[in-house]
Amino acid sequence: MAEGKKTLKEIINKIPQDKRQTLFDGKALDLIKEGTIKWKEESLKEGDRKNWKVTPGTTLGSEIPRNLIYTPLDTPDLDYRRDLGNSGQEPFTRGVHPNMYRGKKFTMRQINGFGGPEDTNKRLKFMLDSGATGLSVIFDLPTTQMYDSDDPISSGQVGTSGVAIDSTRDMEILFDAIPLEEVTVSIVTHFPSNTAILFPMFLAAAEKRGISFDRLGGTVQNDTTMEEVVRSGPEYLPPKDVFRIQCDNNEYIRQNIPRWNFTTFNGYNLREFGTSSVTEIAIAFANAMETLENLSSRGHDIDFIAKRLAFFWSISNDFFDEAARIRAARRLWSRIMKYKFGAKDPRSQWMRCHVQTSGLTLTRQEPLNNIVRASYQALASVLGGAQSLHVSSYDEAYAVPTEEAALLSLRTQQIIQAETAVTEVVDPLGGSYYVEALTDEIEKRIIDELSQIEAQGGYVKAIERGWLHRKVATYFQTEQAKMESGEIPIVGLNCYKSGRKEAPIDVFSYPEEAEKRQLDKLARLKDERDSKKAQRALKTLEDACKSDTNIVPYSLECARAGCSEGEIFKVFKSAYGLWNPPEVF
Amino acid sequence: MMKKTIKVLLAKLGLDIHNRGVLFVAKNLRDAGMEVIYIGNSTPQQIINSAIQEDADVVGVSSLGGAHLILGEKLISLAKKEHIKEDRIYLMGGAVPEEDMKKLERAGFDAIFTSGAASKEIVSSIENLVKEL
Repeated sequence: MAEGKKTLKEIINKIPQDKRQTLFDGKALDLIKEGTIKWKEESLKEGDRKNWKVTPGTTLGSEIPRNLIYTPLDTPDLDYRRDLGNSGQEPFTRGVHPNMYRGKKFTMRQINGFGGPEDTNKRLKFMLDSGATGLSVIFDLPTTQMYDSDDPISSGQVGTSGVAIDSTRDMEILFDAIPLEEVTVSIVTHFPSNTAILFPMFLAAAEKRGISFDRLGGTVQNDTTMEEVVRSGPEYLPPKDVFRIQCDNNEYIRQNIPRWNFTTFNGYNLREFGTSSVTEIAIAFANAMETLENLSSRGHDIDFIAKRLAFFWSISNDFFDEAARIRAARRLWSRIMKYKFGAKDPRSQWMRCHVQTSGLTLTRQEPLNNIVRASYQALASVLGGAQSLHVSSYDEAYAVPTEEAALLSLRTQQIIQAETAVTEVVDPLGGSYYVEALTDEIEKRIIDELSQIEAQGGYVKAIERGWLHRKVATYFQTEQAKMESGEIPIVGLNCYKSGRKEAPIDVFSYPEEAEKRQLDKLARLKDERDSKKAQRALKTLEDACKSDTNIVPYSLECARAGCSEGEIFKVFKSAYGLWNPPEVF
Repeated sequence: MMKKTIKVLLAKLGLDIHNRGVLFVAKNLRDAGMEVIYIGNSTPQQIINSAIQEDADVVGVSSLGGAHLILGEKLISLAKKEHIKEDRIYLMGGAVPEEDMKKLERAGFDAIFTSGAASKEIVSSIENLVKEL
């Protein structure tokens, strides 16, 4: 680590300023200033002058006040080479690849999962046949919360909200006949703990098909914020242990599955739960920085580790704020990697991201309006230069998307990519006085929030102490009240209400029998497997959990030996004990 | 005679992960003068046990994960079994399709609130339902 002991602010403020070349010369700025003062007096009405700055009320927005008009006076120090650069050049504000979407189109990756692995396998094939260029799989409630389908706590919930996976056998069915060597798969495990269980099952399934690990490409989520702060659940492991599992996953995957993005630092779900667009990035960056410090203390070279990091952002309604935010995050991450961590490989400085349009902005009232919302959000993401995209479906306030709604989300992406020509030109908003000023302000605010986390001892400490839980709860209580009062306008809900009876939309219904199928398969598995071998694997895993060795190879042995998810989670609970998260109500 | 404070037991139904909605409702009910107990993720049996133990007037469950029907019906049947169905109010909030709302009402829920329901509406609905008990 190059500058480990200095605070982030000190590091950023100390970036060498020599050879600085600002775009606007002082004399021109003086003249613009003079002209603008005159223009304000002569051309603007009193009210416009008084309301020069307005803070837009938008769902999950940054709450940055906006001027009536932006001019060079709002970015007087803009230095093209230092602050922007061309695409593929430091600090990567304009994009990570020189030719951006001309070279590599954004991946159209819609999330899928429902019923048993047999049901979701069919949907995955349908999406691929319809032109999807990546896959993304989400797990059902029991699988996400790490209980087996036959656990009494899972009753009635098998296959809801995602796909049910109990063992390696289910993973084999889930990806049956899907070319894992060709298509990248996002395995949305959410938590470090279930990543350490489910990803080894995926590996064991690939192994059985004879696919070597170096041919697999994709990502897992593996995010401590998700496990400890965002979700509601019955049992939690302590934050420091969850963070250790997160880093174990990172280390194992980086060393053994070279094409795999070992973590998607998840801002999305935290933001959807309740944080501003700025906090979303600050928390994910804080987690990423602490992870890099941990892996670097394990002796890994920062450039080896950093090149497989990815981020996941939510994209909401404040159009220019969203596009500017992705640019700001790219620039700041590049600076952090270069000046805090001393990364040498330019690739280590890339802030690559998957984005998903905001679920919280979708309304149940007049659901077709959601198609319009998601389209604008998707466009903002593409103008911001995201690598991969999920467009939320219009029926999600009712249930998981129907096949028709899922297809429409994919079509939304295809229309942007094929028909609008926005992908032909790199960073089309770059150079806009407004967007550059917003980008600067957002970057500054992320640094401020990162400094607050740093001041209390870092990311894990901020969770242990309940700071993050309280911050989120305060935010969403206030925000939800604004959504009710109309201070945040929502068409069809708190303004422009039609009052007419709405035509019913088709709503997805879960496949019946998924629960029974899972129970039958689990019973068969436990009957057929070498039970001594399974017990031995679980015991060895527990020993690893209690030592400081990486646990993933042992969890992989459990997956190979046919252990179930619930059995492995029991090992974690026994090794680490349970944690009571701070109460926020 | 002083008006009795309404006692509300709130829970996440089963393993559902989303709790922004139920925490917002909890705060608003408390701000409206009700006594609110939030027990987090719980099985139908755990919820019924708590309702008895706490002697709650209102039992409200939140479900956005798709398991509302099976677990909701289970909750009501357990309430009947324990003879606490008729003297209490049962509410559900969450992502529930129209058709399932009807089924849940038929099963015995007194009111269902979906996305976009205003907290004032929830408060007044509870006050009216409790009056009619």
